[in-house]
Amino acid sequence: MRRITIDFMGNKKYLFAFSAALVVISIAALLVRGLMFGIEFQGGSVMTFTGTADVSVERMREALDEAGVAGAGAAVIQQTDEGDFIVRTSEQDADAASLQAQAVLGVLGLPDQDASVTTIGPGWGANVTNAALIALAVSIIAIIGYVSIRFEYKMSLTAVVALAHDVLIVLGFYALVGHEVTPNTVAALLTILGYSLYDTVVVFHRIRENGQNLVRRSFQQMANDSINQVLARSINTTLTSLIPVVCLLAFGGSTLKDFAFALVVGLTLGAYSSVGVAAPLYALWKEREPRFQALKRKAEAHAAK
Amino acid sequence: MDPKTRNVLALVVIAVLVALALWQALPLDQKITQGLDIKGGLSVILTAEPLGAAPLTEEAIDRVETILVERVNGFGVSEATVQRQGANAFLVQLPGVRDAKQALAILGEPGKLEFVDLGSITDTATIALVSRHLETDTSVEATDLARLDESAYEPFMTGEVITAAQVTTDQYNNAAVSITMNATGSDIWGEVTTRLAPTRGQVLIVLDGIAKSAPSVQEPILTGDTQITGTFTFDEAKRLAAVLQSGALPVEIRIDESREVGATLGQDSLAQGLTAALIGLGLVALFMAVYYRGLGVISWFSLLTFAALFLGVLAFMSRLGAFALSLPGIAGMVLTIGLAADSSILQFERFKEEVRLGKTFRSAAKSGTRHAIGTSIDADVVTLVSAAAIYLFAIGPVRGFALTLMIGITIDIIVMTLFTRTTIVLLAESVVAKAPALFGMKGGDEHA
Repeated sequence: MRRITIDFMGNKKYLFAFSAALVVISIAALLVRGLMFGIEFQGGSVMTFTGTADVSVERMREALDEAGVAGAGAAVIQQTDEGDFIVRTSEQDADAASLQAQAVLGVLGLPDQDASVTTIGPGWGANVTNAALIALAVSIIAIIGYVSIRFEYKMSLTAVVALAHDVLIVLGFYALVGHEVTPNTVAALLTILGYSLYDTVVVFHRIRENGQNLVRRSFQQMANDSINQVLARSINTTLTSLIPVVCLLAFGGSTLKDFAFALVVGLTLGAYSSVGVAAPLYALWKEREPRFQALKRKAEAHAAK
Repeated sequence: MDPKTRNVLALVVIAVLVALALWQALPLDQKITQGLDIKGGLSVILTAEPLGAAPLTEEAIDRVETILVERVNGFGVSEATVQRQGANAFLVQLPGVRDAKQALAILGEPGKLEFVDLGSITDTATIALVSRHLETDTSVEATDLARLDESAYEPFMTGEVITAAQVTTDQYNNAAVSITMNATGSDIWGEVTTRLAPTRGQVLIVLDGIAKSAPSVQEPILTGDTQITGTFTFDEAKRLAAVLQSGALPVEIRIDESREVGATLGQDSLAQGLTAALIGLGLVALFMAVYYRGLGVISWFSLLTFAALFLGVLAFMSRLGAFALSLPGIAGMVLTIGLAADSSILQFERFKEEVRLGKTFRSAAKSGTRHAIGTSIDADVVTLVSAAAIYLFAIGPVRGFALTLMIGITIDIIVMTLFTRTTIVLLAESVVAKAPALFGMKGGDEHA
């Protein structure tokens, strides 16, 4: 099989510029458009109606009105590809929301079991948000700790830069397309942090291995070779992870799509950032160490001959 | 033990594990518990908040739990559960419950314990209902009991007067329940028991509109210290004590999260999730075979082994009541398909690379898989850390996602060390060396 070698280190300027551009766009999107948080974080109700393929959005809005749904005018109504309806309201009383959903079914003449209602009461959202933030913080600290002990702190710090890059861009993407952020999104994001690191660790593993007996080549050259050596693996594992998740996005219901969307975006970014951000940054930083500086000069002298 | 014997032994161990797993897991729909979001039903998170300024004591929270269990049992739903979540929250799950509205109303109201003079009830329908309540063991799966009509009876006192209730034994060593009351209670109780004792009149104990017990008054009780005896078992006595204790809790029960899932939606979601998982698995298998040829076929068996063990563990945990498959759980499972393929890919790539570097198939297989497993385990540990953080700290259904992810990662480590690695090493010496092209490789031995 022919091996294709890509000069990641040589093109690091473009890679960094590309990433920087994405980060800037993401920050802008987050500032300008902001994130749309799900009811779990701020309280409210989501009613899901199935078997409504022949109901139009207008009819649904009328039905909400007729059923006396509080704030029916402000309700967010969304129809899925399967014809189900997802209706978000500000109702924070579970009792009332359940009653309203039954009333809507009554108006539309649908059987009882076709409604699902989730209600989050006032104040609970803060709990959910805090719990999610704690999970995020603990997970990041634990990961940095593990990588620092197992490898070295320069690896863990560059890995974290790549992680921050991934998270920012995924969130920016959510802001840009106006996708709702739910606890599922947060869980998926956390997992992607793990995944992105997974990829990064694989590259670092190889760099460390190749770096042990480094002669006549600069650290950057060696790092570039290392990236290329694990590239087939990185692309393939990203593909095999993406395939099932894309299937989930294509065939899954709304809860599953929620996960799948964040996973697809995050997996792609995570794979890119490992070879495009984490490894080049690490190599650059590492090369500033005196012994690698010496190697670099030697390698340059060697190439000039 | 020589390496070959050890490898064969590893495969035998895996084969036994797979057989055990399949025995546990089949048929899937009966052996793996389905969560509420799939089966349909009502899932509620309730928080107990103190009404006064004083914080809730551990004892008060235990009593809230007792009340909730009693109420949930009153719904007559099988497999209903009440679980403590954190300091003062409870997760109540009512699979298949029809009237979510009524269930929510009952769960959210403060406990109401009432004492009624049975003889004072005149409405015949109510009397009939009371005897039905008393005949039915409401702690076990029961019919959906109608509650007593509040206007049809007049309680002479409520649960607030009870200061303690506990299980004791009477003089014949049978289970009994002894209660103590405050001064107000003792006064009323003395008056009522004095009136009822000559006729052995019955006092009806009603919790949340359901008649729980109707002991006869044997003698006037003026101190409030009362012993209820009867032909009940210790379990029944314990329940009655719990009911009596549950009156007058200084708490407000608030509904923080309520998820009511229609059966149709749940089943649709399950079907969609399974379709996605199977198509995903199929496509991954196809990709592996196209890209890695013969090695890809090895990965099919790795994936199948992985799937069998995964389902076996889920079924085993379901049996212990420690697992119920939810939609986030399915998302976690689908993600682990990629994880399982990943550990195979790492080993294949490393194996092929070492062959390219000029090692014999045999030594390339050994050192390649060893290196790859080192990498895989590091990476798995990192993912495990994120999953564990979600499982331990996050609130709500996402924990199901973290749980399946953690199980998947653990099984992945077992499969890649016991199965994938040994298969590659065993086959490298024989099959791969004879027909490297079938495995997407060139040469081999001539490099040695």
